[in-house]
Amino acid sequence: MSQDVATIRVTRYRPEKDSKPFFQEYKVPYRHDMVVLDALNYIKAEIDGSLTYRWSCRMGVCGSCGANIDGEPKLTCASFLHDFKGRTITIEPMTHFPVIKDLVVDMEDFMEKLVKIKPWIIRDKETPPEQGEYKQSAQELERYSQFSSCINCMLCYAACPIYGLNEKFLGPAATALAYRYIEDSRDQGKDVRFPIVHEMEGVWECTLVGECSVVCPKGVDPMLAIQKTKILGATNALKSLLMPRGGH
Amino acid sequence: MGDAKRYPELRRRLSYRWWTANRHYTMYMVREWTSLFVALYSLMFIYGLSLWATGSRADFLNFLKNPAIIGFSLIAFVFTMYHAATWFYLLGAVVPVKIGRSRTKPWQALVLNIILLIIISFLAIWLVVLR
Amino acid sequence: MKVETHKVARLHALLWGIFSLGGMIAAFLLPVMIYMTAIAYPFGLWPFSSPSGCLYCPTRDPSFLVTGHLLGALFIFVTIAGSLYHGIFRFQTTLTELGLLKYRRALEAVGYFIIFVGIIVLGYYLVAWYLNGTIA
Repeated sequence: MSQDVATIRVTRYRPEKDSKPFFQEYKVPYRHDMVVLDALNYIKAEIDGSLTYRWSCRMGVCGSCGANIDGEPKLTCASFLHDFKGRTITIEPMTHFPVIKDLVVDMEDFMEKLVKIKPWIIRDKETPPEQGEYKQSAQELERYSQFSSCINCMLCYAACPIYGLNEKFLGPAATALAYRYIEDSRDQGKDVRFPIVHEMEGVWECTLVGECSVVCPKGVDPMLAIQKTKILGATNALKSLLMPRGGH
Repeated sequence: MGDAKRYPELRRRLSYRWWTANRHYTMYMVREWTSLFVALYSLMFIYGLSLWATGSRADFLNFLKNPAIIGFSLIAFVFTMYHAATWFYLLGAVVPVKIGRSRTKPWQALVLNIILLIIISFLAIWLVVLR
Repeated sequence: MKVETHKVARLHALLWGIFSLGGMIAAFLLPVMIYMTAIAYPFGLWPFSSPSGCLYCPTRDPSFLVTGHLLGALFIFVTIAGSLYHGIFRFQTTLTELGLLKYRRALEAVGYFIIFVGIIVLGYYLVAWYLNGTIA
């Protein structure tokens, strides 16, 4: 196999030394089947052991290796080096998040939001396992299954300018996951979850830029989830206005 | 967990020129600015009515024949059509209609809604002017 | 306090509902409205073409939209009020995305003021026409 050489420009930020981030350039020889994450691993192993970044599964499942590649939020393990042939590849930490070091961002805010929407099945009364599973038809599964594919890679947050402007915004992935449970026929936690997604900084902040759904590596459509949640919120509000005493 | 952060994190602020960063963002910004023309046309029409209220019907009609107003309205027309097209497309993305077993794609919704727009427009002219 | 935030959220939901209804109206009704007032009328095109050579064509102009019959007035009200609400609401949000986020409350206040006054004035003219047979 022939070997090419990629020029890679990586953001360096070493908080103990630098007050500002800067770019550092590396030359990485690569084969056709190598991805950006392989290049980072090559740099760390062969050129500069101080380069810091997150990764784990290197196969698009764990969601830890996200970065901005040439300005676009992507998984470094899913971006082939040969797609950038002849160009310098710029790798920056994911947009909007505070940077801890080099490509490592602070995920605290997202983790808090994730917990906030209660991403688990809520039942009025839990039945013991002996009584069997909570059953669901294929059609019922289809209503939410795409939203359960989220791997929490946060690329959608990096792509969302609304989150960049206002970090209180609940954001794409958390809302998509909330919607995943709202649409789940086994879940009975609507009364708990609706107030969370429908609060001021919840879905109403979204102005349908749509980039979240473009960058998602797992084919989740958070934009759709947010709009559906808005429609549910508006119809519920209208119902409670017309029938203040009526049922739910 | 729980331990104090030793070093400061790098906080980056989003530039207000973020919408120039890629083509999607730019198209989004163009889409959102159509709303200015939608609003301005509406205000302009209300102003035209106020000319009628304080003057005469002819004042209102002359206002509509003012070249500057025609020029602005034509621009507003283009932007409104752009708003309509993007709205139809997003409608298809957010509330796809089920036809048989398959769901409509956004571009199909765009085409179907443009046909609907033409029908509604003729219907409106017929109901409001011709009848 | 919990009830309060819930009420605010509900108000927000309703306002968003009106906003999307306005978007529907602006998409489906505003184009034909602008066509009639700014293209057909000043350029003498259908349905406001001059009646020469057409014995049965009525001579009409956009004032007929307002005072022709109740349906016309209703069409004007729905189209203009819906578009105004949608346009102002959305543009005000766009400004917050271009660096005015910290003035959000002020922008909202100005936006809703314009919407409120615009719709009241529009409604007043149309009701005045309905009651008096003329617009004021």
